[in-house]
Amino acid sequence: MALRIEKTVQVSGPIEKVWAFLNDPRKVATCVPGAKITEQVGEKIYKGTVSVKVGPAVSEYSGELQILRIDPENYEIELLGKGQDVRGRGSASMKMTGKLRVVDSGITEMTSTSEVNLVGIVAQMGARVITEVSNIMFGQFTKNLQARLQQPEGALDAPGAEVKPVKATSVAWEAGKRLFRRES
Amino acid sequence: MITKTSPDVGGMGHSLKRKEDLRFIQGRGNYVDDVHLPGMVYGQLVRSPYAHARLKSINADKAKKLPGVLAVITGEDLAKANLAWMPTLFFDKQMVLATGKVLFQSQEVAFVVAEDRYTAADAAELVEVEYEELPVLVDPHKSLDPGAPILREDREQKDNHIFHWEVGDRQATDKVIQNAAVTAKVHAFFQRCHPAPLETCGCVADFNSGTGRLTVYLTSQAPHAHRTLFAIVGGIPENNIRVISPDIGGGFGNKVPIYPGYVCAVVASLTLGRPVKWIETRSENLQSTGFARDYHMTAELAASGDGKIQGLRVKTLADHGAFNAAAQPTKFPAGLFSICTGAYDYPTAFCEVDGVYTNKAPGGIAYRCSFRVTEAAYLIERAVDVLAQELKIDPAELRRKNFISPAKFPYKSPLGWSYDSGDYDGAMKLALEKIGYAELRKEQAEKRTKGELMGIGISSFVEIVGAGPSHTFDIAGIKMFDSCEIRIHPTGKGICRMGTKSQGQGHETTYAQIVAQELGIPAADITVEEGDTDTAPYGLGTYASRSTPVSGAATAMAARKIREKAKKIAAHLLECSEGDLEWETGRFFVKGAPSKSKTIQEIAFAAYTNHPQGLEAGLEAVDYYDPPNLTFPFGTYICVVDIDKGTGEVKVRRFVAVDDCGNVINPMIVDGQIHGGLTEGLAIAFMQEIAYDENGNVQGGSFQDYLLPTAVETPHWETDKTCTPSPHHPLGAKGVGESPNVGSPAAFVNAVVDALAHLGVKHIDMPIAPWKVWTILKEKGVVS
Repeated sequence: MALRIEKTVQVSGPIEKVWAFLNDPRKVATCVPGAKITEQVGEKIYKGTVSVKVGPAVSEYSGELQILRIDPENYEIELLGKGQDVRGRGSASMKMTGKLRVVDSGITEMTSTSEVNLVGIVAQMGARVITEVSNIMFGQFTKNLQARLQQPEGALDAPGAEVKPVKATSVAWEAGKRLFRRES
Repeated sequence: MITKTSPDVGGMGHSLKRKEDLRFIQGRGNYVDDVHLPGMVYGQLVRSPYAHARLKSINADKAKKLPGVLAVITGEDLAKANLAWMPTLFFDKQMVLATGKVLFQSQEVAFVVAEDRYTAADAAELVEVEYEELPVLVDPHKSLDPGAPILREDREQKDNHIFHWEVGDRQATDKVIQNAAVTAKVHAFFQRCHPAPLETCGCVADFNSGTGRLTVYLTSQAPHAHRTLFAIVGGIPENNIRVISPDIGGGFGNKVPIYPGYVCAVVASLTLGRPVKWIETRSENLQSTGFARDYHMTAELAASGDGKIQGLRVKTLADHGAFNAAAQPTKFPAGLFSICTGAYDYPTAFCEVDGVYTNKAPGGIAYRCSFRVTEAAYLIERAVDVLAQELKIDPAELRRKNFISPAKFPYKSPLGWSYDSGDYDGAMKLALEKIGYAELRKEQAEKRTKGELMGIGISSFVEIVGAGPSHTFDIAGIKMFDSCEIRIHPTGKGICRMGTKSQGQGHETTYAQIVAQELGIPAADITVEEGDTDTAPYGLGTYASRSTPVSGAATAMAARKIREKAKKIAAHLLECSEGDLEWETGRFFVKGAPSKSKTIQEIAFAAYTNHPQGLEAGLEAVDYYDPPNLTFPFGTYICVVDIDKGTGEVKVRRFVAVDDCGNVINPMIVDGQIHGGLTEGLAIAFMQEIAYDENGNVQGGSFQDYLLPTAVETPHWETDKTCTPSPHHPLGAKGVGESPNVGSPAAFVNAVVDALAHLGVKHIDMPIAPWKVWTILKEKGVVS
């Protein structure tokens, strides 16, 4: 199942500070729910895991993250992540392009476009559920990122607290809330 | 003419309440999952998440260490016993458990056996399987492309083509279409759908090493055929196999094939010496067991300028999934699809079908239809509507102009069938009257001027059921006769045992009514038993609307054999010659002296207490009925829809179903069958599809996405009937269970297309979900 997910958020922090954070996958991973970078295996290649729980299906993807392109002048980064579920329940890949833009002094806008491809039990959940899961994950990511950016300079290098994977109950709850709010 | 018996006897034509319903509504049915045996353990399948992948390794160490786990069986284990593959019902083979690679998502990869269901499920999660993904083939149109991945490396033939089948006169048809004044063409995709019976598939396999016998409690529509296949595939002597199909919660063709889970449970029971239960979950049922349809069809009709049909050309691509597991009669790779010429009289037709493999679940089963008849009826009824549009003739008028007239029966169709009897215009006339067709057309015209969307859809279908005559029909070599054994007890009550198997059709009532009709013994006094291969006579089972046409006929014939013997006993009792006796319901009397008579009950008693010398005692008979022809039920369905422009939602305002299934055994049961089948047809037309994404992920693999109709969506069905008996069936009956599912999809779709016809819409593929209609309305500028 192929999905294209586009997200735009604003975070408070000067663009250089946000960029310094975002172009380091080890730091970014500390904000992604259920994600961990376990090893750097090349200049631009990392090994890691992502755990997602949707209803009864727990997927723990283990794989590689590669920086395909990094463009500091335009604050653009392109990442490719690929992983297989550790118990053979499916695979996932994601190609993400992230871009930063100054909105106002101290406010940075982050735009990301992700092409996600899922195979396996999780993919059977259908686009509605997967989109909702990614919404929640992105929401948490933004919150975590914001929190990390608020921390004093030196703290950015410290490993982040373990971030819990998304649970199905929250998916249903968020979907329900959305329905009543009539949001898309 | 059928003589009507008294209500006490309850023969044909009486709406007897169904005998089986008392236990069903009290929750006292006995389904496979109700079977609990001492020492029973549970199986769970590990399934593939990939649609196409190389199987690199299976590591079951963690699963085996879980307390309560007894065994983990893999394809490699089965290969040692030569059981990794099994034959399908159509000259192909399929993997029981994967070896080498997997070919569809949810394919069976390993079988875990544990002391309880929960442990089995947990252990299945612990089985670690390493896969290497391969390119996936989802679109059957790409199956034959030169660069397409070869799915079946096990075959000698190195492409994805399964069969080419054609019937009719290609050249003559091409010529008729080329020279026609008017032609109509429609590409119609009958989507992959699934019978989704309320009870999923499952079994309890119980091998007793003391007796050497294997008993399999099985969700089977064809217990005898399954016993024979178990014997052939498993190498177990057939006398040591007993298949029991207890109560079955719906089948609709889904319970005709043998599934890997059954074989695994049998292997596990043979290995462990304990009874092994395996029951599918709902998702397993939808994702891996026999799907239906998946036919990509093109029909072209040729007609004269005044609307006389001259010829039909059909080309179809059939997606059979990873294995050709279609359950079809041997000579018919596309089933009875060649009934696609429909209810119309024209001399020339040609039909060709190509079957291909894709990375999807195997099947191509006959979902509530006699082998691809639903596809055929849908196609011709859609094509006729498109022709009406091209000709600007009312679709009812075009049909009536082309119907085969009653005088022409038996009618030889251009694709080779001999239709037994029919009065298509009779059913059409009644349906038009009942729905008030002329007024509806007026209303539609008025509504169009106001911009409102309303449509009327007609389907005048012909079915072909009751397979079938042994000269033409067999499944895996076994001829398609069927059987009935009747034993009348000394007290005048009796038992009927059948080769068929009810899955909700009401056999316990209808077969008893046939005996009541033929012997005058009240239906209440006749027990009907099916599904135990140790006691029932051999038969091919229940599907293809064959129970009444074949086993129903066998019941009548067996009862007549009993009546013949009863006559001899009556002559003995009345001290007269057989020639002096006359029969009326329930008794023989002496001609001219009606008071001198013996009831069937008195005769039965005498058969055991005072039988004539030279005649065997007892009152029993068995009949194996080999039908001389198939039967051809028909009908006209008319559907009225209103479309909500804002949402694209289609509302079925009215639906009139006029059916003709010949002589009726139980009108209430027929009505029930029609209601059920129409509701399924509604779901197929508007709600259901087993879709796959480009990676071969199932997108309709649970009831979240594969929708079942509820009382909310289901309209009020208005049913009626005409009666044109089958001339060759002993009771003049034709079979009805499948008519509504066969006939209704075209009526629904024709109604929606009719509502949008003035916008230039000629066809919409099912399922017609609101978004499809809304998208069309937007494209046509009806909504902004």
